[in-house]
Amino acid sequence: MGAHRVVRVLDSLMEVKNLYLYYGTRKGIVKAVDDISFNLKKGETVSLVGESGCGKSSMAKALMRLLPKNVAKYEGSIFIDGMNVMSLREDEFKKRIRWKKMSIVFQGAMDSLNPLLKVGEQVAEPLVIHDGIPEKDAIEKASELLSFVGISRSFIDRYPFELSGGMQQRVLIAMALVTSPEIVILDEPTSALDVITQANIMNMLKDIKSELKISYIFITHDIALSTELSDKIAIMYAGKIVELTSLEDFLSEPLHPYAKLLLASVPTLRSTKKLSHIPGEPPSLLDPPPGCRFHPRCPYAMDICKVKEPPEVEVSEQHKVKCWLYSQENSKGGMYS
Amino acid sequence: MDDTLLKVTDLRKYFEIKQSLFSKALVLKAVDGVSFQLSRGEAVSLVGESGSGKTTLGKTILRLYEPTQGTLVFKGRDITHLSTKNLMWYRRAVQLVQQDPFGSLPYFLTIREILEEPLKIHKIGDERSRSEMIYKALENVRLLPAEDFLPKYPHMISGGQAQRVAIARALILQPELIIADEPVSMLDASVRIEILTLLRELQENNKISFIYITHDLSTTRYFSDKIFIMYGGQIVEKADTQTILREPLHPYTKALFEAIPDLDPLNVKKRKKTPPGEPPSLLDPPPGCRFHPRCPYAMDICKVKEPPEVEVSEQHKVKCWLYSQENSKGVV
Repeated sequence: MGAHRVVRVLDSLMEVKNLYLYYGTRKGIVKAVDDISFNLKKGETVSLVGESGCGKSSMAKALMRLLPKNVAKYEGSIFIDGMNVMSLREDEFKKRIRWKKMSIVFQGAMDSLNPLLKVGEQVAEPLVIHDGIPEKDAIEKASELLSFVGISRSFIDRYPFELSGGMQQRVLIAMALVTSPEIVILDEPTSALDVITQANIMNMLKDIKSELKISYIFITHDIALSTELSDKIAIMYAGKIVELTSLEDFLSEPLHPYAKLLLASVPTLRSTKKLSHIPGEPPSLLDPPPGCRFHPRCPYAMDICKVKEPPEVEVSEQHKVKCWLYSQENSKGGMYS
Repeated sequence: MDDTLLKVTDLRKYFEIKQSLFSKALVLKAVDGVSFQLSRGEAVSLVGESGSGKTTLGKTILRLYEPTQGTLVFKGRDITHLSTKNLMWYRRAVQLVQQDPFGSLPYFLTIREILEEPLKIHKIGDERSRSEMIYKALENVRLLPAEDFLPKYPHMISGGQAQRVAIARALILQPELIIADEPVSMLDASVRIEILTLLRELQENNKISFIYITHDLSTTRYFSDKIFIMYGGQIVEKADTQTILREPLHPYTKALFEAIPDLDPLNVKKRKKTPPGEPPSLLDPPPGCRFHPRCPYAMDICKVKEPPEVEVSEQHKVKCWLYSQENSKGVV
């Protein structure tokens, strides 16, 4: 294990570098996660925001190493507390990382819960299996956690189908927390819920974050919702992060043309702004366009965008954008406003 | 002349659910006493959460379901219990756009065949004039050049394009009313606004009435003249769009407004003041006002007696005891 240890900046809890996840299909290679890097500090939330098919859920699978059989390429490094967990064997990864250090809440609670297990047993199961804690103690801890997420003790002997959608989602969140991980991946945790229930779950996630000092990776298609939880926001497009910055910077000054257009297309109740839309549709990950993947839809596309992939430009220490408009290499120079 | 297109009065749709052969059937009250009027060329949003009965209301208006009680009057004709045979004219006048374009378009037909089918069923035009109408319909929804799309099958086009075909199919019969049930909720954010804008344009240009069924209140501002809010099988608030956005009255509507996320960097730092609990089961809704178990302003009367529909102004109606004169405690 000593060989995996690398000295890292202290406050960085997780560092993802050049992560790739490709799938092999009959039609060809699907580049779902294509050279992605970001880092996560302790207690911080990064939102991965993108449209369907941009690879954001594959990101979750790549981080948790929950891979389908048809993986064609799975490379890169994921440092957690300074250790590159990508080089761990599967049994070690399972023993030390998955659920112990990093857990996940999936969307669609009904599909993720075991219909044959009572709620209390369900939440206690990881403790029994991973930590070998006696079942009685594990259920005791599970019921404490369940009441923390707003499910009373009287429910621990119920089965999942007896619970409403919102309560099932709370059970899933309790399951993700029971092994005391430092990082919780939330993959569209509220997309199957009603708006008011969604707001209540978001309130709870905020409480958990501040009380337990947990770091979230929040995966969502909804920019407006991501503002509820994000410290940093990463905009994904066609398998790549195209812009990464703090939430405030992003809302006040988005840089990438896709990010700008996406923000302008968000309908809001409280402002009277005129909505715009992005012409065209997101590309297929089977055969993404050459150069910048957004160039066919980009109103500012230049010749270079069509042939050469843009570099990641560091506009400021915490604001990165993958776009030729901001690159010094781009001879035309200058930014547009 | 009266410009009322559709008049819905005390509409109810109940479903009997038998759990076993011998047990008594349970009654699911999906739509429970809904009344409203729709004028010609008016676009109304019907907003509700899942299980609020909004889709059943849409299907009952389409007469895909026969109402359990109440009346449906379309252009002065009572269509509540008309037989399928006598409904042909109504089927032509009222069209549906569904949520999932790939589910609603037959996968074994080309786009030309999909668009031609309604014309054949209603015996409209000959082969040449049909062909013209099909071109026109594709132009209207901006699927250009039309020739490229005609021979394709639904699986060969994207979700946004498929939804345009579904819209073209609804428009080709020149309907007077279109019911669009979550027409954009399966599309990507960047495509959604495009489709909604297109629908609004077609609606205004062709003077079609629209009922836009959605769970997403934030898109309604861009799309409708009026907003109806549904909860537990009933409409709890009706108003024109600007009024309700400026001044929502029903505690449920207020909660819905509070719950909707917006683009505010301060969101991270504050909790939303939303009511606890979840929408009621339509099998066994609470007595009195259906929102009372979650309502922060619930009074004694709310627990026992169903609130009346109070007319706060000509444009604004709310089903809540807080605004009723009968309620002695007066207005909050």
